[in-house]
Amino acid sequence: MGIVIAVISGKGGVGKTTATANLGLGIGLNGKRCVVVDFDIGQRNLDMILGLENRVVYDMVQVMDEEASLKQALIKSKVSENLFFLAASQSKDKSVLDSSKVQKLVASLKEDFDFVILDSPAGIESGFEHTIEFADAAIVVVNPEVSSIRDADRAIGILDSKSDKVKNGEEVAKYLIINRIVADMVESGEMLKSDDILEILNIKLLGKVPEDKGVIDASNQGKPVILDKKSIAGQAYTRIAGRLCGQKVDMKDIEISDSGLFKKIVGIFR
Amino acid sequence: MFGLDFFNKKKSASVAKDRLTIAIMSDRDRLNAYPFMDEMKAEIIEVVKKYVGVRGVEITKEIHRDFEALSIDVELDKNS
Repeated sequence: MGIVIAVISGKGGVGKTTATANLGLGIGLNGKRCVVVDFDIGQRNLDMILGLENRVVYDMVQVMDEEASLKQALIKSKVSENLFFLAASQSKDKSVLDSSKVQKLVASLKEDFDFVILDSPAGIESGFEHTIEFADAAIVVVNPEVSSIRDADRAIGILDSKSDKVKNGEEVAKYLIINRIVADMVESGEMLKSDDILEILNIKLLGKVPEDKGVIDASNQGKPVILDKKSIAGQAYTRIAGRLCGQKVDMKDIEISDSGLFKKIVGIFR
Repeated sequence: MFGLDFFNKKKSASVAKDRLTIAIMSDRDRLNAYPFMDEMKAEIIEVVKKYVGVRGVEITKEIHRDFEALSIDVELDKNS
């Protein structure tokens, strides 16, 4: 029986889908069976990031409506035989989702996979609520920037009041990924520190991901950045995926720039 | 001018932290308005149920300039 993790953010464009794709692949590369599901009905994105857009035949809504079987709709990753992908529906609108259908889909995915990762749509509308409804845990993705953090807090508030687990008196585990950190700016006091963000949102840290041009290059090619061993964002996702798989991976301090680190080392020798 | 100089020296990240702390506190306040919300929801469902099928009730507190209001949304069950 696997764990269901919703990836949420509140605000759009903070790197939710990129995180979903990379963590899914990272988990797969760690030898765990993982499925990533695009819950952003009407706006497919995850297929592009994974480079699987040409393989989509059936989508999630068709599976829920029993027009296709799960087996028919699941697409295997080109890179990891442990990673599968279920596409969002493009043609239908968000109102096609229905709690009982979502519950059934999530339950059957849970049977087959160690990790079921649901990529939530941005915003806090019904599509978002369906994504969090049957989640065991949530990964919140933010950028170190005021509007992203405020919207994330709203999304967390809804998670804490509307998820099925909470309604049954249990707690939904929540973890934060801070994405697009620019070390120079944190050092000069122009960007929020991760400690401050954790304090404001009152949430546990899962990982920090630095700003990295390689992310766009990777999505251009449909090869998640985690495959690029030289990419600092890719390395960050490798560490986070390791943590999710139960490995002890130290939190790397990416909030010190190379020049800052150099100054510190010079300081030691003075 | 000392005052202006002092303001300029305040780093924007700490300004962000202060602004966020206040904004988020007031957001949370507005959303989890009263402790009796759940009980009230249950009672509203019971009353409406006598007449028509209900799927759920949503209560939100709205703060306006001159007054505060509770907005109650009752989602009806299509199948009943």
